[in-house]
Amino acid sequence: MMRDHTRIEELLAVRSIGGLDPSDEAELEREMASHGPDCEECRRLRTEYEETAGRLAFALEPVAVREGFADETFERAFGRSAEPAGERPGAPAHRRPWLRPLVGVAAAIVLFAGGVLVGTAVTGEQPSGKTVLTLQSETEPGTLAAAFTPGSSGLYMVGTGLPTLPEGKVYELWLFTGDTPTSAMCATPSAEGSVFGFADKSLEGVGLLAVTVESADCPSAPTTQPIFSAEVTA
Amino acid sequence: MAATQLLELAGARTPAEACVTADLSEARDRELVQRIGRGDEEAFRGLFGRYAPTAMALARRVARQPFLAEEIVQEAFLAVWRNPSGYDQQRGSVRAWLMGMVHHRAVDAVRREESQRRRAEESMVSDPVVSPDPADDVADRIDLPEERKAVRAALEALPDEQRQVIELMYFGGLSQSTISEQLGLPLGTVKSRTLLGMRRLRGAIGGGDR
Repeated sequence: MMRDHTRIEELLAVRSIGGLDPSDEAELEREMASHGPDCEECRRLRTEYEETAGRLAFALEPVAVREGFADETFERAFGRSAEPAGERPGAPAHRRPWLRPLVGVAAAIVLFAGGVLVGTAVTGEQPSGKTVLTLQSETEPGTLAAAFTPGSSGLYMVGTGLPTLPEGKVYELWLFTGDTPTSAMCATPSAEGSVFGFADKSLEGVGLLAVTVESADCPSAPTTQPIFSAEVTA
Repeated sequence: MAATQLLELAGARTPAEACVTADLSEARDRELVQRIGRGDEEAFRGLFGRYAPTAMALARRVARQPFLAEEIVQEAFLAVWRNPSGYDQQRGSVRAWLMGMVHHRAVDAVRREESQRRRAEESMVSDPVVSPDPADDVADRIDLPEERKAVRAALEALPDEQRQVIELMYFGGLSQSTISEQLGLPLGTVKSRTLLGMRRLRGAIGGGDR
């Protein structure tokens, strides 16, 4: 006689579309365990709900991937020999080992420089060769810093105490080469006014960093005046 | 690869038993994953070209931040490249597996950045449809529109209240308790609507009627 699978089905259905609360997740694990690893009905339900959920994605219109995104992905996938020994191939760049101390350094500089930011950019080169550059604002509270390694790709933006933005708005970081801006990243401040973002960009040839407030679809050219900026001297 | 081989990979005993378009498409996907397991870069490019636009649509819809969406999609595809054996043919189609990875990552990201997420009801601006994969496989040209048509029809066939909770959960990244709060509905109502809706969808697109 088949056991009742109603509760398991309910939980699997919700989990497949990402809606389970943690307490329900634990209950599902218990229920599944109680049915044992050989429960065919459990397996069938799980498979069919996961299949259903996966296919829901196709209700959406496809989105054009950004030019260069495919090549960046392939480079990360196939460029394993270039990865340092011990680093997981293809690991997200923002999880590079030097990130954590760098974020700490950025935060420290932000704290140190808070309130006296109008004027000369604060640039700090770290022992590891990383550089932290604070962006200046004459109008906005909060502090914003960019961290990077001169000559290498990888740019972090860290901010604290920033104004929250209206719904649908983000901060967009621009890299100016001469008079030409290139979008580096968009970031939405948290409720506490903090932002953190990463872009696999190099500052080679970049003379100025600037941040504007833009719509959430991250336009390819600035539509508002910069509220933070810093000259790149490193 | 010959059609008969593709059908074998699709698990179809005879062509008559196969829903040819869908099975050819799925067989091609499985072949790509097998080749990726052998380190075939072209196969990875093929899978990426075929599904990255849909993966990006899903990630952007859930995460609502284009740069975060790119990271999610890239991580999902890199996971495929690094561990193609993570795909288990017994647990469904390649496309559902891939979109499941994207969705899980997107939901995780949303939950991590809950305070940054805009309201789930906000509609997303549609981006232009692209056809990035010029592969000569006929399945490429015919099955994804059919897939989209079938999924949309299945969703549209749901009662509004069931579709609402499923869309908030899947596309909005909301948990059932959050939906209960946002809609002012008892949690039990959200659960029952979700189950009823998902049962219908499973019958329509999840193999539940097979």
